[in-house]
Amino acid sequence: MPHATARADAARAVIFSPLEGAGRAELVEQRLTDAIVSGVLHDGERLPSEADLAKSLGVALVTAREALVALRHKGLVRTRRGRDGGSFVTYDRDASARLLDERLRTTSRIELRDLSLHVAAIAGMAAEVAADRASDDDVASLVEIDARADLTSAGGARRAVSRFRLEVAAVSQSPRLVHEELRLQAETGPLLFLCLRAQEYRDRSRQARLDIIDAIRRADAASARRATVDHVTECVEWLIDEKARLEAGEGSGS
Amino acid sequence: MTHAVATDAATVARRVADVIDPVFAVIDSWRDAAERRLSSDAEPRAASVDPFVHDLVAVELVRAETLITGAGFVAAPGYLVDAPWHLAWWLSGRSPFQAEAARGIRRLDAESDPDAESFRDYTTLEWWRVPERTGSRHLTGPYVDYLCTDDYTVTITTPVRVDDEMVGLVGADVYVARLEQVLLPVLRGAGGTCTIVNASGRIVASSETHRATGALLRLDGLAEALAPLREAEAAGRVTDAARLPGGGTVVPCGDTSLALVVE
Repeated sequence: MPHATARADAARAVIFSPLEGAGRAELVEQRLTDAIVSGVLHDGERLPSEADLAKSLGVALVTAREALVALRHKGLVRTRRGRDGGSFVTYDRDASARLLDERLRTTSRIELRDLSLHVAAIAGMAAEVAADRASDDDVASLVEIDARADLTSAGGARRAVSRFRLEVAAVSQSPRLVHEELRLQAETGPLLFLCLRAQEYRDRSRQARLDIIDAIRRADAASARRATVDHVTECVEWLIDEKARLEAGEGSGS
Repeated sequence: MTHAVATDAATVARRVADVIDPVFAVIDSWRDAAERRLSSDAEPRAASVDPFVHDLVAVELVRAETLITGAGFVAAPGYLVDAPWHLAWWLSGRSPFQAEAARGIRRLDAESDPDAESFRDYTTLEWWRVPERTGSRHLTGPYVDYLCTDDYTVTITTPVRVDDEMVGLVGADVYVARLEQVLLPVLRGAGGTCTIVNASGRIVASSETHRATGALLRLDGLAEALAPLREAEAAGRVTDAARLPGGGTVVPCGDTSLALVVE
């Protein structure tokens, strides 16, 4: 079903898609944490039941339960008993900012740079191929995503970045690049684009988008890749500086 | 280009249409059944329409030889009294990214609450917009269906009418990989380089091994030659072959909205 209804917001849908690998409870916990602190899941929203969560993520019931307990301890969900009971998202702006800072502190520079390389490899290749394969309609849909971007908040700017990268991957006509893009977005959550807290970087993300659209319109594959990779690199360099600031005990306070 | 080659191109184009026509025929039969069922229903409800649609498409979705991997009915907003926005769509088979093949068929889990964040007004999408405008069948794609199956797909949709009013549409998804499998033998049997493109010039399959499915076929004059195909849905069938300045021939494949390019 094209551009559908079912998974209209693919960033949300991927939250409940199957996980792979070890440390599953931590993976479930990290994925849901990312979704909550980035605002993909909303304050007061009811999460699927333990059983449904376990089923959609492809993990054991105890794994889902373990992850929910951890989220409760972090103060990200609260559980109500009874007929209308369940686990509900509790979003708090300051608490979310603290959690993200904590994640940045505990992620090494090496991991951050490696992550940005992986993201740049996927997004850069997608942009390169998209430049060759974009029809006029495809360019129009990229322009529309840019036009609808909300640059007045970090969350709005980040959603625009995610949505745009996903659409570029789709324009490349590669299911694998689309799949990997979605997977990376779920894995990295809001971490890589923390710089969008600053208005200057939101404006730069817009400029990067315009440059990429322009390159794709001109079927200039090399420039489309360059603009994509440069933007990812810029974001991770900001992130590494921010990490240094946090570690020096003088966090940006934003 | 000799007369003999042109005839051959028309034959190949006909065979391509023959591959896709059974899918069209199945969708048309669903449309007829849906129109019969709904025209006798004064108060159509999702609760009773869903089981009907399920039974209608399930037989085809589990058939071993079918090209169809997803199918169903999408209601016009406000048509069903108990569900203002409604998709009754089922999926079969396996995507390359699924750990294992799903047993039987599963329902597409669609957001039908217009106040929800993930709700999407499907009447703005190509597979709804075009059939609504033209009143007839439309083939959308190939495209990566990242909102549904993460796969490379074409979707065919056709309007369902009751008392001359469009009350929804029925349609089907076909994986492009599956389509390539059945189209390549048809193309290999022909002389010259044969490439199937959609109305935007995007390659669906080609006898030239280095032409990638999904890439745009860039030939002088191709966009102009394909223009009538894009308009055809409103105006009726296009059957005329067109010559390209570089010597190629463009032949519409029946009324599939696909075209065969022979070089």
